[in-house]
Amino acid sequence: MKTISVEHLCRVEGNGGISATIDGKKVTEVKFNIYEGPRLIEQLTIGRTPEEDVSLAPRICAICTLSHKNAVLRAIEKALSVKVPKKTILMRELMHMGEIIESHSLHIFLLALPDYLGYPNAIAMAAKYDLEVKIGLEMKNFGNHIMKTISGRYIHGENPVIGGFGKFPDKKDLLWIKSRAQQFMPFVLKTVSLFCELDYPEIPEDETLYACCDPGNGKFGFWGEKILLSNGESIPADDYKKLTNEFVVSHSYAKHSLYKGKPYSVGALARINNLGERLDGEAGRKFKKYFNEHWKKNPLYHNAAQALEILYCFERIPVLVKKILKDENTPKIIPYSVKEGKGTGLVEAPRGLLIHHYEIKNGLVSNVDIITPTAQNAEDIERYCYIATQKLLDEGQEEKIRDRMDLVVRAFDPCISCSAHSAQVRQGKTDEWKSKLETILTHEEPAFLGIGNFRQGDDAVGIFIGKQLRDAGQKNVWLESSTNEMESFWKSNAGKPVIFLDAIDFQEKPGTVTFLPLLYALNNSSLVHKFSPFVTGPLKYNQLKKSYILGIQPASLKRGKTISPCVKKATREVLETLKSRQKKNRHFKDKE
Amino acid sequence: MENSKLKIGIYELTGCAGDALLILDCEKELIDIFNAADIQSFVMAKSDNIEGDLDIALVEGSVTTEKEIEELKDIRQRSKIVVAIGLCATVGGIQARFLDPKEWNERFKKVYGNIEMTHTKPVQSKPIDAYIDVDFYLPGCPIGKEQFLIFFTRILKGNPPEKSQNPVCVTCKYNENDCLLKKGILCLGPLTEDGCGAICINHNLPCAGCWGPLKTGNRTSEYYLLKEKGFDVEHIKKKMANYSGTKIASFLKELEKEKK
Repeated sequence: MKTISVEHLCRVEGNGGISATIDGKKVTEVKFNIYEGPRLIEQLTIGRTPEEDVSLAPRICAICTLSHKNAVLRAIEKALSVKVPKKTILMRELMHMGEIIESHSLHIFLLALPDYLGYPNAIAMAAKYDLEVKIGLEMKNFGNHIMKTISGRYIHGENPVIGGFGKFPDKKDLLWIKSRAQQFMPFVLKTVSLFCELDYPEIPEDETLYACCDPGNGKFGFWGEKILLSNGESIPADDYKKLTNEFVVSHSYAKHSLYKGKPYSVGALARINNLGERLDGEAGRKFKKYFNEHWKKNPLYHNAAQALEILYCFERIPVLVKKILKDENTPKIIPYSVKEGKGTGLVEAPRGLLIHHYEIKNGLVSNVDIITPTAQNAEDIERYCYIATQKLLDEGQEEKIRDRMDLVVRAFDPCISCSAHSAQVRQGKTDEWKSKLETILTHEEPAFLGIGNFRQGDDAVGIFIGKQLRDAGQKNVWLESSTNEMESFWKSNAGKPVIFLDAIDFQEKPGTVTFLPLLYALNNSSLVHKFSPFVTGPLKYNQLKKSYILGIQPASLKRGKTISPCVKKATREVLETLKSRQKKNRHFKDKE
Repeated sequence: MENSKLKIGIYELTGCAGDALLILDCEKELIDIFNAADIQSFVMAKSDNIEGDLDIALVEGSVTTEKEIEELKDIRQRSKIVVAIGLCATVGGIQARFLDPKEWNERFKKVYGNIEMTHTKPVQSKPIDAYIDVDFYLPGCPIGKEQFLIFFTRILKGNPPEKSQNPVCVTCKYNENDCLLKKGILCLGPLTEDGCGAICINHNLPCAGCWGPLKTGNRTSEYYLLKEKGFDVEHIKKKMANYSGTKIASFLKELEKEKK
């Protein structure tokens, strides 16, 4: 067993690392470690006035500060029923463009490009790629300038407040921004062709689900009232928890998220995949020219997507400035008096979907929930690193693993400060596993494998369910406890999806049932149960991908104990669900 | 020539990384910064980092895990000068607000449950001078561009940097702003360290206190003045505590005692 790891991820924002554990020819674990410590931001924003929270919450992150500002403002203004005028919204959009340009150009030119040109940093790169570094720096400077002009500071500007702005920028400053954006165009187009034509490696490629805000009206943009998924589903802002089931893992102070048990991606690539068709002007032409199948499944194309978005922003800025200047009689701050309510704000931060949710009672904030893009991407970051590592191993290119993982993580442009802000521990819906199981059984005919140890308290539960299931007449049920069976199990089920029945510790109430992709369970150290290599050893990647684990949270794993009552109760529930499913099937077959 | 350059390391502990980012935000000066000194370690900006002896270490972020305590002590050992940059390193940041260990524990459990962290143990957020000696402080949330460049050029030339001892009000008056306190708006200017340029008040907004508490600020008398003006006592306390980290702990304790 050996571990390949990048201890300190360089050229990302914050403090994190990634590691892959390899056993012979198989990757057994990939972990995206967040060393950034806990800050409990949501806890310290509770009990404050809404105005204080507008100042405090953006401190989560320096580079996404205005995205946080926009998200907290959208949420709180909704909660307090404050309707801001059009000019205010346009100004907020303009400052958001500044942040997108600043963050994207920092990432693609100064943090990511050195990888592709073979340099340790952008300054070393400057000797030969003088123009590229200069464009990057100038562009970043321009983005920063917009942020400062409108928000008051480069980082953590306080000018945007509930109801509007403390002060509007001067007309001449806005006109300067407009003309500068137009001057920049040739360099922006150069940027797009540079990053859309880079030679991105094909490993790792795999399909995923993309999520982003839907700006509405068939337009491209960076906020909205709905979340749009690449499978066509649409989720209203207030139901955001349907998408983001945040949960705690033990190797990180950032929480992870899964949608219906599967990882999903957010960020520039998600936006271009979901909304790219809506781009017009030069950005639309470039989208049609460069977008292809690879963009749909290769996270390294995040860099290309970011370049396209920079172009969109540069085209949008002159339009925005023109509209802002037309409106001269808008009040700076809209007064408000409401003291109670709740609201959710959705914003596309440079690195993806950002959600702020506030509840206000008696003029003070009583509940806060903040979900950041990197926390949502964490699962997919681990999964793509897993795929890359396994494929490179299969191809005998082990020496490339470390750098490739580094490349994949950096492509997601992770913002580690954001992700480690930490959220409330949330329990998933108690019977969500039923619907997930139902979906799998409708499409597949999986084998069941009960695993565990009969002499170790609740660990016996997997074998127990397996036996009962078999007695009830379910086909294709196997038990780990019988050695003979294990030998023939893999022979007769090669390539088939497998549902593992087991006790797993996922930090829930004893007796809670969960249904997870096996890939996730293997990747995640917080699921304390370790599979013996004997069980998962012969599993091929393709099979692994479509296998699941049906787990029950044990109360005790002590030797010599029997199954505890709460776990037994859960067992009955699992059995009944599977049996009723069986009946339906039989019924179905009889009809045929 | 190469050897005569000062060896500098820039480190991030827990925070928003805004101070390191601000150094990268000096776009026009960035190449000069990298040429004027020998930047040995700057994880956010480069990957060929060397962790050896340093002349100057700039540390941002507060200490919130056991691993960071070790890391910090190691940085101290190999550096001649250690500079705390930003609010988190100087006062502990907004996350240092839960002063009582019991309260912190409860809050931590609310967020992360009973999970046992496998990679590094959490500790209550503290400024870096809770663990090591610090030579200079650059306050601010985040630090300012001008402030950093002045500090950086001075220290490269071997001049000890100057420390401002003024409240925000001094610059605010130079800017000819109307006093917000007189208009009945709770502004923290008198208690907050100067250096930001009184930006918020320039934008007609009250000072939030984000540069941290001024050492010589007269908190007690300000507290009673605000109370007299009719502001809610709890609100005053919270506002004073938001950006003060662990630094006004004894003052807040005094107030609590008085209540009893």
